[in-house]
This record gives sequence, structure tokens and C-alpha cells, in this order.
Amino acid sequence: MATSQRDVRNRIAAVKNIQKITRAMEMVAAARLRRAEQRIEALRPYAGAIRRMTRTAAKAAGYVPSVPILEEHEQTRSVGLLLVAGDRGLAGAFNSNVVRAGVAAAREHREQGRELVYFASGRRAASSLSFRGMEPAASFIGFTDRPAYADARRIAERLMSAYVDGEVDRVEVFYNSYISAMSQVVRRETLLPLAEATLLESPAEEEAEEQEGGSGPRGSVEYEPDPEAVLQRLVPDYVKLSIFRALLESTASEHGARMTAMRNASENAGTLIGDLTLQMNRARQAEITQEIMEVVAGAEGLG
Amino acid sequence: MAHKKFPVEVLTPEGEAFSDEVEMVSTKTMLGSIGLLANHEPVLATLAPGELRIYRTESEIVRFAQAEGYLQFAGNRALLLVEEALRPDQLERSELEGKLATARSTAESAQEGSEERATALREVRRYEAFLAVGQ
Repeated sequence: MATSQRDVRNRIAAVKNIQKITRAMEMVAAARLRRAEQRIEALRPYAGAIRRMTRTAAKAAGYVPSVPILEEHEQTRSVGLLLVAGDRGLAGAFNSNVVRAGVAAAREHREQGRELVYFASGRRAASSLSFRGMEPAASFIGFTDRPAYADARRIAERLMSAYVDGEVDRVEVFYNSYISAMSQVVRRETLLPLAEATLLESPAEEEAEEQEGGSGPRGSVEYEPDPEAVLQRLVPDYVKLSIFRALLESTASEHGARMTAMRNASENAGTLIGDLTLQMNRARQAEITQEIMEVVAGAEGLG
Repeated sequence: MAHKKFPVEVLTPEGEAFSDEVEMVSTKTMLGSIGLLANHEPVLATLAPGELRIYRTESEIVRFAQAEGYLQFAGNRALLLVEEALRPDQLERSELEGKLATARSTAESAQEGSEERATALREVRRYEAFLAVGQ
């Protein structure tokens, strides 16, 4: 009896320690989530300004000049898949959801006779792909806690080179889009070829801003070198921005998922501690009852 | 002699790098250098990696290493959109030198005329410009 009581007490202590760790991880994730949300917000003014500038330059040029990443390849023989996951685990289904979506898409493409080229962002994406024998052509790791624009640029430029140089005829990206701390949804987007429509679409609020802003006399703007060249420079920025947005949302999702997973773990630990305490008390009570019965039986025997 | 001031905003994808009323901005475009004073004529230019100098006054200068970007001057306001705007003290020399070496070797091994090579050459120019600002 005494040994089982000690066992239970040890287990309670162990579970309490785990609970302390999961609580701390939950709090760290919550702080990082806030920072990640701020970074998504910080991107907005820049992205909006790039879109406005594109529309201004497109108006001045009168057309969208030919840029290789806007041109569809005649045949889709080879597809590049970019999986955006995290560097670390312990975040619920965050990493595995992206990998699962990517693997399912790969199967679809293969059934249509297409070759696949994999790209991984985050250690977990890279290792999951290698484990399945889908060796990534390029892995980008070590920044998923706090992705910089330079990281997005590096990925975007690798993908654009692959597209322009004919290594792939299409690029799709898979990432966890951030909805809230509790909910993340895996999104699948076609990154390349870039749809010309995305260049000229404008969210309603920006449209209104432009109308009232009426930026002075049109046509008197001096372009350096010329509107077409400015546009040609702006087009690849859309790909970089899409990837940066995906990285930021993925980071926010990762911290959100980890926070939720760790909260659940802490709660489970609490329930377990309750159950174990009950079990220990029962064992102790049983022991006391046993002793009393022995004493009583002994007294009766004497009497 | 003090110049008239005008608002300047420097935006990067990671947030605002600078926003204030200043006397002059001098930066590098794809075609050369450009200096902006208040009431400059409207311009939309592509920026090349290089040094960005913002003169709050003639003697108080804020310096950045800028990556590729755009400059728009309209309605007596200057807006600079740059991929990166780093203060000279944020530049890590050894890290930049490492990246420069990698970019150079990629450029050498990549096929002539390929996008891969063009990308690597852009990187070479960017890191060279950063290193020059950091000196």
C-alpha cells in the first residue's frame, strides 16, 4: 500500500512539473503571437502603397508590359510546391496540416502526369518532405519565429528563377492563414504565373482614398526611367509580398496553435492531477481503514 | 541657410522606418543620384541599393542603407518604399561579407542569361552597397 501511495505522489509531482512548462510555453506563445499580429499590421501601409503605385504607373503606361512571371507557360509539365511550416513542433496540427495538404496536392498533380519540385520553408516542412522521400529542391529554415522581408525575398527570387528559367511551369504555396489564435486554415494559392488581375485589383477603401486624394495634375509626373520600367520592377514585388504575407500569417498561426495546444495540455495536466490526487486519497483512506480493522480485530481477539 | 521643410515617409514591409518634416532627401535611383527639396516636381522613380540621406537640417542627417525600392514625390510629400532601410549601426559587416561571397559564387556558377544569375547579380549589388554605407 505505502509504495503505491508513493508512486502516485511521484506521478503528481511529475505532472505538476509538466504543467509548469506547458503554462510557460503558453505565455511565451501568447507574447509572440501579439508581436506577429503587429507585424501583419505593419505590412499593410507598404503593401497598400505598392498597389497604389502600380495602378498609377499602369495608368500612365496604358498597358501592362510583358513580364515573364505574368506569362503562362504553354504546358504545365512541372509544378513547384512551396510548403510553409514552422521550425519547431509542439503546436498541435499546425505543421502536419500543411504537409498533409501539400502531399494531397502532389498526388493530384502526379495523377495528371506532372513532375513535382518541392520547396520547404521551416525545418518541419523540410524534414517531413525528406522523410516521405520528397526531397525539397530548396529549404529555407531558421527564421519562422520572426521572418524578415529579406527571407521572403530569398524564397520569392528562388521560385521566380525556377519559373522563368523553366524548372517549373507553375508554383503553388501552402500555408496556415491566420484567422484567430483559435483558428488557422490551410490555404492553397497559385503564386506563379502571377495573374494580371491581381496587379490592378484594389480594395474598396483604397479606391475611395484615391478618389479624394486626387494626386494633382496627372500626366505631369516625371517617371524615372519610364512607366513601363517602373511597372516591370513592381510586378515581382507582388510575389515577394505574397510570400512575406504567407510567412507572417504562418508565424502568427504557429504561435496561436502552440498557445492553444499548450493551454489544452495545461488543462489536461490539471485534470490528471485531480484524478491522481483522488486516487492517492483513496489509497490512503483504504490503508487507514485497514489499520483500524486490524486494531479492532486485535482488540476483539484479546477480549 | 535653412530650406523649407516638407514631409518625408520611408516605408518598408516591416514597418515605418522614418516619418518627419525635413529639408532635403538625397538618394540613389536606377539612373543616378537624386536630391529632393520642398516643391520638387512630381516624380516616380525606381531606387537602387545605396545610401539614403535625410537632412532634417543642414547639419542633422539621418542615414540609411536602402535596398531596392521606389520614390514618389507628389503634392509636396515624398514617399519612399524600400525593401529594407537599415541604420548604419544595424549593418553586420561579417554577415554581409558572407552573403556577398555566396551571391558572387552563385552568379559565377549560374548560367549566362538565366534569371538565377540576374538575381544573384542583384544581390551582389545590394550587399556591396550596404557594405559601402557601413564604412
